[in-house]
Amino acid sequence: MQLHVKYRSYLTGICTMALPTDVLGALQNIVGSEGMLASGLDLAAYSFDGTTNWQGMPEVVVFPTTAEHVSAILALANAQAIAVTARGAGTNVSGGSIPTAGGIVLCTTRMNRILEIDAANLTATVEAGVVLNDLNLALSRRRLFFPPDPQSFLAATIGGCVSENAGGPYAVKYGVFKHYLLGMRAVLPSGAILDLGGRTMKNVTGYDLPQLLCGSEGTLAVITQVTMRLLPQPAMRQTVLAVFDQVVKAGEAVHRILASGIIPAKIELMDNWIIRRIEEMMPLGLPTNADAILLFECDGLPETVTKECAAVIDLSRQAGAVSVRAAENAREAENFWTARRAGFSAIFGHAKTVLAEDVTVPITRIPELIDRVRKLSREHNLTIVIIGHAGDGNLHPSILTDKHNIGHFTVAERVMEAIFSAALELGGVVSGEHGIGLEKRRVLKQAMEPEAIALLRSIKNVFDPKGILNPGKIWEDA
Amino acid sequence: MKCGFCMSSCPVYAIDHIESHVARGRNVLVLLGAQGDIIRNEAYRQSLSYCLVCGRCQATCPAKISSADITVQARSQMAHEAGLTGIQRFVYRGILKHRSRMAILLGLMARIPGMSTKEGRPLRHLADAAALFSRGLSVPRLSKPFLGQRIARRTVPPPGVKIRGTVAVFLGCAFEFFFADAGKDIVATLAQAGFEVIYSSELTCCGLAIYCSGDDETARLMAQTNMDALGSFDRIITGCATCSSALKKYGSWFCEEDPRHVQAVTFSRKVQDFSEFLVQEGFQPQPASQPDLVTYHDPCHLRWHQGVTAPPRKLLTSLERMMFVEMEGADACCGLGGAFGMYHRDISLAIQVKKIDAIRKTRARIVATSCPGCMIQLMDGCRRHHLPVTVLHISQVLQGRTG
Repeated sequence: MQLHVKYRSYLTGICTMALPTDVLGALQNIVGSEGMLASGLDLAAYSFDGTTNWQGMPEVVVFPTTAEHVSAILALANAQAIAVTARGAGTNVSGGSIPTAGGIVLCTTRMNRILEIDAANLTATVEAGVVLNDLNLALSRRRLFFPPDPQSFLAATIGGCVSENAGGPYAVKYGVFKHYLLGMRAVLPSGAILDLGGRTMKNVTGYDLPQLLCGSEGTLAVITQVTMRLLPQPAMRQTVLAVFDQVVKAGEAVHRILASGIIPAKIELMDNWIIRRIEEMMPLGLPTNADAILLFECDGLPETVTKECAAVIDLSRQAGAVSVRAAENAREAENFWTARRAGFSAIFGHAKTVLAEDVTVPITRIPELIDRVRKLSREHNLTIVIIGHAGDGNLHPSILTDKHNIGHFTVAERVMEAIFSAALELGGVVSGEHGIGLEKRRVLKQAMEPEAIALLRSIKNVFDPKGILNPGKIWEDA
Repeated sequence: MKCGFCMSSCPVYAIDHIESHVARGRNVLVLLGAQGDIIRNEAYRQSLSYCLVCGRCQATCPAKISSADITVQARSQMAHEAGLTGIQRFVYRGILKHRSRMAILLGLMARIPGMSTKEGRPLRHLADAAALFSRGLSVPRLSKPFLGQRIARRTVPPPGVKIRGTVAVFLGCAFEFFFADAGKDIVATLAQAGFEVIYSSELTCCGLAIYCSGDDETARLMAQTNMDALGSFDRIITGCATCSSALKKYGSWFCEEDPRHVQAVTFSRKVQDFSEFLVQEGFQPQPASQPDLVTYHDPCHLRWHQGVTAPPRKLLTSLERMMFVEMEGADACCGLGGAFGMYHRDISLAIQVKKIDAIRKTRARIVATSCPGCMIQLMDGCRRHHLPVTVLHISQVLQGRTG
């Protein structure tokens, strides 16, 4: 069915509303005037996400505060075949929450109540718009721990994290969002409100629908509430910093440590470019001539942490680390991790446009992937920065470019495709944690069998027969 | 550029969760405006008005982008392109620029019974009529007489205290006209610390409110007046966080090509906040007159614009018989943000209530701060929410005032 909204070129700028006034009136009846934005300037602020190369204008932004609001909005949009793009904080980096088909942006940020923290059963139930950091703060007061840690946690919402199946440095030992998802409340395009899954660790009741929605990028249903599994907070954490003169040796260290039976909570890799930027922004005394740095965190009971750290230091040395040491105190450890978080912003601060990908390979193939990225960088004379989660094989090769410099940008896009191919050849995947969104639609055909893509489409069709939810994402129109 | 970390620290976004009201969204609008993709019209001016200029986002920003400065520059550009509104022009250029005119105007108001106070509680009774013009924000009563008539041009340390040097004070409009008691206590404390204190009657408003509203031309003229009046002194102390943040930035108000740039940079280097200066000089305050519990609110202009957090706490904890208690979110904005508090009353009040709750939880009887703007907002909040807490400038606490 043809969507009634027009695809709008961004550069036409702020113009009159394409949605009929009766639709706007009906939306206003649902969420109230304070729950709706329709002025051009306000809308422009919802035309982007965390990426720097995609934009698309919505025609109205609504802020529901209950599942009933969401249901009424979806039922209305479904009846009129208006596109609906669900959005949390818009920190995603795949173009996934950009309303390229116009229509309604359904923003969950005002559904932000933590409904229950059940310390006895180790679960938390929150509304979709709760910011991950706010949940973490509430949990730490009760000595509880929710490990998945996408580095946008200061702003990212739980609903968005589930929709993108987000993960972060803790994935090495603790996994990603899907490993903690027990249940959810979701609204279908028809307006039906469903409670899916439950609140128990074990649950084999039919197809696992929460897991299907997890990572579906808002294309199947709108999640309004999530129940997650929690862990007790580890008694102790220790950070270790290892410096290498060759990135291959860093890869070797990761391999040796994991093969020895130790699973650190985090293993992060930063290349020379990042090290130098960090030293410019916040001098930590990192060696600016180092080829790569590995940052480890071990956690658990004090005896375990002490032993694991000693082993990490020892094995890093054996792999050829130039220097390796534990952080002297909690403050220094915090500085190291702040520097790691700042890494991405340093990249974005140094170029008008950044193609920051999240290819993931089996951990033993990391050095090969890095070699191939560097070769591409030399051949095409591009700056490609490498930062990433070495412990789970998830790297972020980031190409610095400028989308307005057509020649440069075209080369950058071509090189990015070569990196995708490299990852696939090494037995990896094109996206480890960002999702496909708009950014990687074009490589989906390389990464999945045609029959599998057809299956994705069929599933989408069952949930959303009119195709109103986040249209145009994940796969390219045939 | 688009990580969105600013969302975690923006007081306005925490209330309304609207993307164009937080640094990330507003910066995009400013960029689109500069590229000509959006028209810079009245709606654009409105969007720019949703920033408190508290500077907190810069502290959270991994790239340390000064979004508050970007907003102020965009406002300035609007003022140049579209001109100021009639009211803005009248208030900025007609009144605020000239302290003598402010004195005459406010002097006339002070004659109205109930609009002024000789000393004591500033927020009461007839002054509430003025709240009609401030959208319900309680306006403090005027000080009668003004500070200039209460203190000498030159105050020497009390007998027995060795003279250690000379400082000039820049006390700002709020102390001059509304909180003259506190102004006097600032001067008295500096004198007790062993400094000869010079008060100049040649000063005018620091110009920050006008600068932040986009009328940088007028603001520069005001900066020039103040630099001329105090330029000959080596140390310039302010009691108002907003004034000190402005004075410390005069250097950046004049571009490098401007002949006054060097003078402004030199001037800015000499400026220090009251508590910053006293702690640097090792001042030890007199014990408090009675045991009490005090908490402290960080003014954004001191905490985020100047990075001063430890000195005021050090002063308060060094007060014998006074117990200091930290409030939750002491560094969160009070919600006034100058004209913001009046333009966006609902958001301002929603931010204010969080602050009042935090103060209530401490059970403190006194809340001290370093900015008269915050004092007004905190006084209004305590009154609005029936919280029996006395709001004082930190100098008043050091001088043993208890309200």
